[in-house]
Amino acid sequence: MSPLSGIPAYSSGMMPRIAPLPGNDVAELPSQLPSAAPAAGSDFSSMLGKMVSEVNAKQMDASQSVNALQSGQNVPLHQAVISMEEASVSFQLMVEVRNRLMDSYQEIMRMQI
Amino acid sequence: MIQILSGIQNTSASLDAERTRLDVISQNIANAHTTHDVDGKPYQRRVVVFENELNNAMNGDTAGLSTMHVAKIARDSRPPTKVYDPGNPEADAKGMVSMPNINIHEEMADLISASRTFEANLAVVKNARSMAMQTLAIGRH
Repeated sequence: MSPLSGIPAYSSGMMPRIAPLPGNDVAELPSQLPSAAPAAGSDFSSMLGKMVSEVNAKQMDASQSVNALQSGQNVPLHQAVISMEEASVSFQLMVEVRNRLMDSYQEIMRMQI
Repeated sequence: MIQILSGIQNTSASLDAERTRLDVISQNIANAHTTHDVDGKPYQRRVVVFENELNNAMNGDTAGLSTMHVAKIARDSRPPTKVYDPGNPEADAKGMVSMPNINIHEEMADLISASRTFEANLAVVKNARSMAMQTLAIGRH
């Protein structure tokens, strides 16, 4: 699912207004936008939810291996550190996705109509 | 599970194996003068044998890669060195004692090699992390 999925529908909806064809410039917009918006909402939110839960699983995994190491079980040091690294990088990925999302949201809010 | 640092399983397996190798080398150094092993003979030098294996990972993208592990810890079959030491209770009728077939210089060279290999694998981890962080910075300004 592309995070910019709403954009093609939006731009194709705008197109008749820029180069008006006789008769159908107003009819294009309502027919295109409602079809794109609900699909994008459900898909993207479930993807985001899945991602958050995977990041959470990585964090749990990391803390579990650190706990095992500290409680004297036979866990190699590098394995604990690598799982911590993986957790940190996937968290960064999640934060980055959130930042891009907020950026595009604010870009849309700033848009002059 | 998302594969956030690609190829890290191989590196992790190698780090594991090198740690085992370092453990075995330290055992060899510690037993350089042990005349009584568990079987009653002088201690024999232990050697780690590595083995490659196909990575049967669940996710499809790493299925073609292979990883490695310690196959076995074998014994060095070189004969024990004979040292003349008549005062030793282990000495035979001629006053010769069988000492382990360990050359401390060889062990030190192995130790350096193992620790450098460990370091190389750590560099791979570091590189994978920095690649991931640089990829996350795409388009940031």
